[in-house]
Amino acid sequence: MRKINDYSKSHAEFLRAERVIPSGIYGHQGPAEGCYVPVEAFPLFSSRAKGSYLWDLDGNRLIDYMCAYGPNILGYHDPDVDAAAAKQRAISDCTTLPNTVMIDFAELLVETVATADWAFFAKNGNDVTTLAVMVARAFTHRKKIVFFKGYYHGVSPWTQKIDYAGVIEEDVMHNIYVDWNDFDALERVFAENRGEIAAVIGQPYMHGNFADNALPAKDFWQKVRRLCTAESSVLIVDDVRAGFRLDLAGSDHYFGFEADLICFCKALANGYNVSALCGKDFLKNTVSSMSYTGSYWLSAVPFAAGIACIEKMKRINCPRLLNEKGTKLKEGLIAAAESFGFDLHVTGAPSLFYLRIADDPSLRLHQEWIAECVKRGIFFTNHHNHFINASLSDEDIRETVEVAAEVFEVLRARHPKG
Amino acid sequence: MGKDQTVLAHCNLFGVLGAIPELLRIDEEARALVKGQRISIGFSVKNGPRATLFFENGNAVLREGCGSCSIKLYFSSPEKFNGMIDGTAMPLPVSGFFRLGFLLKNFTKLTDILSSYLRPAEGALENPEFLVKSTKLMLHVIAGSVAQIGCVDPVGRFSASNIVDGDIKISIGDPKSGGAAIAVSAKDHRLQVLESVPEVSFSEMSFADYQTARDLFDGKINAVAAVGTGKVRIFGMISQIDNVNRILDRVSLYLA
Repeated sequence: MRKINDYSKSHAEFLRAERVIPSGIYGHQGPAEGCYVPVEAFPLFSSRAKGSYLWDLDGNRLIDYMCAYGPNILGYHDPDVDAAAAKQRAISDCTTLPNTVMIDFAELLVETVATADWAFFAKNGNDVTTLAVMVARAFTHRKKIVFFKGYYHGVSPWTQKIDYAGVIEEDVMHNIYVDWNDFDALERVFAENRGEIAAVIGQPYMHGNFADNALPAKDFWQKVRRLCTAESSVLIVDDVRAGFRLDLAGSDHYFGFEADLICFCKALANGYNVSALCGKDFLKNTVSSMSYTGSYWLSAVPFAAGIACIEKMKRINCPRLLNEKGTKLKEGLIAAAESFGFDLHVTGAPSLFYLRIADDPSLRLHQEWIAECVKRGIFFTNHHNHFINASLSDEDIRETVEVAAEVFEVLRARHPKG
Repeated sequence: MGKDQTVLAHCNLFGVLGAIPELLRIDEEARALVKGQRISIGFSVKNGPRATLFFENGNAVLREGCGSCSIKLYFSSPEKFNGMIDGTAMPLPVSGFFRLGFLLKNFTKLTDILSSYLRPAEGALENPEFLVKSTKLMLHVIAGSVAQIGCVDPVGRFSASNIVDGDIKISIGDPKSGGAAIAVSAKDHRLQVLESVPEVSFSEMSFADYQTARDLFDGKINAVAAVGTGKVRIFGMISQIDNVNRILDRVSLYLA
């Protein structure tokens, strides 16, 4: 039996944080939105990270399958990316006039991403999904945006829902929601709102929380593409989460269609803070006309990191590598579950796998399994898809499957079959 | 979106007056007021909710509709009904005049006791026993209001539209040893308070103790922060809890 982690220092620091920071750790990296069930099973702060590992304040080493919720694609502190960033930092970073590394990065994205004729840089995914919607509205002079239920496109009011704190109905009154993979519903929505829909925005497949992730139905995206073209609406792919884990040319390329606008962030620079909106030439003038900028958006260090990251991802054929590692892990976890009589669902792309023990639809059993894995050094979450990074070794996968099996055995003892 | 008088009437009827059965379970003085009484009071609100409080053997139950009741109170608008709850308007009995004594004495006293728990006098909550009773009643008011807001408030309905089927339990401490629990069922995106609390629910939000629950109800602490400290625990289908919490935000708008 493996040792059970103790998180005393993490939790002591949380009490300190809570006094001066709203909710202690806000957002998806906090214990509430992060669904830490129970909270005692999870570390709350890290002290360092390297490759596939993070170490918490109590010195526990965890194999991290959340990868900072996506940015870690090559491994924490990838030497090539860090070296490029350090080299650029010695030259310039946040300055009055941008460094030409910005052009280099844009050129690389245009060369790499199938649908990209240009690139616009910002910091977070939300910056570029918001820009994409504004571009669509500016270009079409229309208001309405169609979303696929289960989406996540950021935190700006337009991305949230009417019942979210701080959101008013005017923020979301032009949002239309349709079920993922329901092309008939999408067609109906277009028929009911003829000439009013500025854009359809979607993640390349449904990676919503608390539910098995769903890949696009056969020809779904191709039909969406044709409909958007016929109705002169802009097709936006939010590739912030999946970007570069399926296809370096973009997830639209992976699924065989072309977006008009595609949003990247997370894996773009292996943790250096930069996001990008790429798009087709016909929208370039519209973007040029917009007032949209930020204090740090043209900082040079993340551009240098991004170049190094993309070049390395190309060298190692990162999507194929991640798919192989993810598949190996998926097969190991499913076999471990089966050997103790559990029905573990592993859905979505192997490089962005979502886990769910289907024996208990309430997810309590699944939460119990996740908690016990985390206590033994495997950082999973119970509500969100996971991420594979390129530094994950066969030994890491073996260790993960061993821990998973040990925990399945513990669970079976607690919950005998029959 | 702001406060709607019809939604408020639903909260007042099924949330506030809906807590009377619990009041009779936990308060001797209240129970004495209805001891030996077999009587029912119907509340009929024009363009609003209708429900009947049935009293029998010192207990009470609230049921939708008021087709059959000993005393029927009619309110010409949700505002009028809400005024009665606020104490700024009088109800108009339309039947059961010979039972008006119960209405004017016993029931009025009963609602006064309820008000004393729901709007405690300064310092009252320092009494641990009072804190427990008051918080239990608030739990019932809140649960009843959550169900109503999820059914009739436009924003609440949106939240309910995202709630998958299953029972949602809200508990304080250990319900088997001095704690409290209530459950709301979600079925086809309609919410309803359950008369008995299931042992296992599809999801659960659990407050460590009465003080934690009270502080959350009073807005002194935040549920998100309290999850981090373990004072609030969530289990099961957390998307249900997430959406119920969005409705809870509307409850505070209506009943603050």
